Amino acid sequence: MEYLGVLVLVLSFVILLIIGVPIAFSIGVSGILTMLVSIDIIPALTTFSHRMATGLDSFALLAIPFFILAGNIMNRGGIAIRLIDFARVLVGGIPGGVAVVNVLANMLFGAISGSAVASASAIGTIMQPEMKKEGYSENFSAAVNITSATTGMSIPPSNILIVYSLASGGVSITALFLAGYIPGILTGIGIIITALTMLIYKKDGTKAAIKGLGFIALIITSLLLLLKGIIFSKATFSDGVNKIMLIISLSVFCVWFIFKTIKNKERAVEGARRLLDAIPSLFMLVIVIGGILAGLFTATEASAIAVLYSLILAFIYREISFKDLPNIILRSVKTTGIVMLLVATSLALSWIMAYENIPQNVSRSIISLTDNPFMIMLLINIILLMVGVFMDMTPAVLIFTPIFLPIVTALGIDPIHFGIIMVLNLSVGLCTPPVGSVLFIGCSVANLSIDKVIKPLIPMFISMVVVLLLVTYIPEIALWLPKSLGF
Amino acid sequence: MKVREVIEKALEWLLVFLMSVLVLDVLWQVISRYILSSPSSYTDELAGFLLIWVGLFGAAYVAGKREHLAIDLLLQRSSKKRRFLLEITISVIVIMFAIAVMIIGGSWLVYTRFFLSVKSAALGLPLGVVYLVLPISGLLIVYFDIDNICNFIKNNSEN
Repeated sequence: MEYLGVLVLVLSFVILLIIGVPIAFSIGVSGILTMLVSIDIIPALTTFSHRMATGLDSFALLAIPFFILAGNIMNRGGIAIRLIDFARVLVGGIPGGVAVVNVLANMLFGAISGSAVASASAIGTIMQPEMKKEGYSENFSAAVNITSATTGMSIPPSNILIVYSLASGGVSITALFLAGYIPGILTGIGIIITALTMLIYKKDGTKAAIKGLGFIALIITSLLLLLKGIIFSKATFSDGVNKIMLIISLSVFCVWFIFKTIKNKERAVEGARRLLDAIPSLFMLVIVIGGILAGLFTATEASAIAVLYSLILAFIYREISFKDLPNIILRSVKTTGIVMLLVATSLALSWIMAYENIPQNVSRSIISLTDNPFMIMLLINIILLMVGVFMDMTPAVLIFTPIFLPIVTALGIDPIHFGIIMVLNLSVGLCTPPVGSVLFIGCSVANLSIDKVIKPLIPMFISMVVVLLLVTYIPEIALWLPKSLGF
Repeated sequence: MKVREVIEKALEWLLVFLMSVLVLDVLWQVISRYILSSPSSYTDELAGFLLIWVGLFGAAYVAGKREHLAIDLLLQRSSKKRRFLLEITISVIVIMFAIAVMIIGGSWLVYTRFFLSVKSAALGLPLGVVYLVLPISGLLIVYFDIDNICNFIKNNSEN
């Protein structure tokens, strides 16, 4: 009897998904069927619809439609091109620079918007033809754009971290936002390294991935050695030596920079102009994240201000007129409708699961398999990776957070840390068929069919999983920033 | 214009209106707190209600367009005949969910809230009115999906 509910739930859900019933309705129908195992029909239906409505009645959730709207305005409003120009000034000059520009622009877009889909379409639309012009393979360019757009999921502001905060019962959104920065940047660096390795060896497949892994390992070990060195030097040398070293390296950099600037004056002027041009767009970061951090407003209020600011920018850049607004709003409402139905049915389902004690049963059976924390985290990561392939991120977070969070907190893992693990994990699923919203949008802006992009995507997946494992087993990567700012 | 087009157009304008009000409402909350230094008490509650409305009406609108996220692997690999049957099955399942949960469950919820005359804390709005969105968007989903089924059958008999 104890397992009847779980059986009905899993079986009906899988069958409905395979038939092709929309995910939100599959969750709803299998939730109702599970409820009928132990509750009468009329109370079951009323409770389910009540849970759906009250689930949406949350001030924190409001940030989601606003960040979607702000993302759509930025998508149309000429902000993307300015971010790309900014990235080009910074890294365009190095070999393979256009690929790096693509990744960096996506990270910047992720840092001012909350949606990876908006990022993939805004940056991809501009970068895809540009990379083709420079002679990069189309499949490779699309793969770079798709995977790097997911960095926006962990780099704040991030819609999915807001959803996690709701699912986990109120982990601080600010702390989650702060924790997302370094893992998001690391993912971006991993993708850059993989992309450059693929370019060097002109290979799409696993060979490049192995070599890329080698590079990542090399860089990480050297970083670790450097870190050890710094700690070592602090222990033996006086502070003064470190200061002198810092001043020397800074002044060498300045001399090099001035020399460079004098040598190509025109390019320097052009670069400076582009940097200045991007500042209003980047100022969004200061308003949104700065405002939240300083405690001036909540994440939801920040998202409404992001809408206002992106509108102002779009009107200043003269890319949007009043006539375009209803269309942009309608597109945002459509995405909102998709996400909110998923949120409503998932929240109702997780209420039923709690009612039927399903989370306790699952955690008992996981702990009966192994009580080694290392293995349990590995197991949870593998389960989440598989879930991410077949499920959209929002319902996955809402359904699996209540199941896994009690297990991991019992192991002594910080809920903030687990949120980042979960988001990095499910980010991989955003780029895989059959349910990968970022993959779909990335392919459609590049005019490519999905099967063509899969091969160059594989090495990038490997780098994403490597970063995921690093973040899983080195908690400081996620927790250092929020901890050092007092969360 | 067909009836469906009129309904869709009206729904589009309603959604755009609700979303705009939602943005203005939250902006007003910030402005009233910092500039007028008298925080308004109702914006918070209104925003939550508006989100329910935008979310569920938006969901109904998207359901009519058949743009909810789904795994279409099986659909794409099916012959024309099986595809036709699958599309009808999916629509019927969606209609059944909408009738059971949103219309029956939702109406029951609205009825009990009116019966108990529960009112919201800040605005004093009867909660029954807020929850009316459930049966209404349920009806919209049923209407759109029945229309979709009719279109499938018509297209199928033409081919």
